[in-house]
Amino acid sequence: MKIKDGYVLRKVAENWVVLPVGKASVNLNGMLSLNESGVLLWQALKEESDRESLVNALLSAYEVSHDEAAADVDSFIASLVQYGCVDA
Amino acid sequence: MLCSISDLLVEVPAKGGLSSLCREYLADDSRVPDIIIRPEEYRYPTKITVPEETVAYMESGVQFYRGLLQYGGMMLHASAVAYGGKGFLFSGPCGVGKSTHTNLWKTVFGEDAVVFNDDKPALRRLDDKWFAYGTPWSGKNHINQNIKVPLAGICFLKQGEANQIRRLPSLEALQRILPQTLRKRLSPEEGSLLLCHIDRLILEVPVFELENRPEEAAVLLSYESMRRAAEDLGV
Repeated sequence: MKIKDGYVLRKVAENWVVLPVGKASVNLNGMLSLNESGVLLWQALKEESDRESLVNALLSAYEVSHDEAAADVDSFIASLVQYGCVDA
Repeated sequence: MLCSISDLLVEVPAKGGLSSLCREYLADDSRVPDIIIRPEEYRYPTKITVPEETVAYMESGVQFYRGLLQYGGMMLHASAVAYGGKGFLFSGPCGVGKSTHTNLWKTVFGEDAVVFNDDKPALRRLDDKWFAYGTPWSGKNHINQNIKVPLAGICFLKQGEANQIRRLPSLEALQRILPQTLRKRLSPEEGSLLLCHIDRLILEVPVFELENRPEEAAVLLSYESMRRAAEDLGV
């Protein structure tokens, strides 16, 4: 999967935020706040990525178990699908 | 016709009723315009019929405020009042009482309080300072004046049973500002510029939320709180 076009990721006032513009702002009226691991996953998803590569990205950046990383990835993907940022 | 709006040279097409809206902003200048408004790029609604003048008003505004992003500026959906040489902006969703509140400033402060844009003032950062400007895009009553004032503060309104004001932390300020500025028509590059401007704005200009009743006491509360915070920040 991959993040659709029309999202801007930027640090504002010490917070990482995702701003939808153009058509993307129809699905998400406002913004998303991301934590550091969310930013890592978001950036990975700017390119086509599968679940396993995202889990591996978390494993190489943080000292977490495979199960914890997989759970993080699953909940992150679920949010992205819910807000329409990726194709399900 | 050439206009000077928020210290930018703007080429505005005279048709669609814009010539009368821009009367106060006409400029005589031989330089190349900073922003050129192109009627051929107006988007017309597909499902409903809208008068030509409404399309020209809305679409020229979209083009101007998109262009403004390239010059350290942005639009905020607000009623803007100038008093004591400074600008006070009252923002929030439609129907929250923005115009009602700034009209009450006129009741309290008389002719010294001037509503210089009742819908979409322009904000710009010049030489490390923020300014608010009147523009021809000022809502259905066309209440605007071509003036520039240092921006004292921004206040989001909320109807309530009592009058109380609080300073908004930066993340909350960002969350309030985003729905009240132009986003749907931006490119990702413009969206990035917008966030860059807001980042500075909320660091440099105090942002408040005023829960209020439509009465004069609310004006005294917003004015005193915003004036003091601006002075503390040296705005």
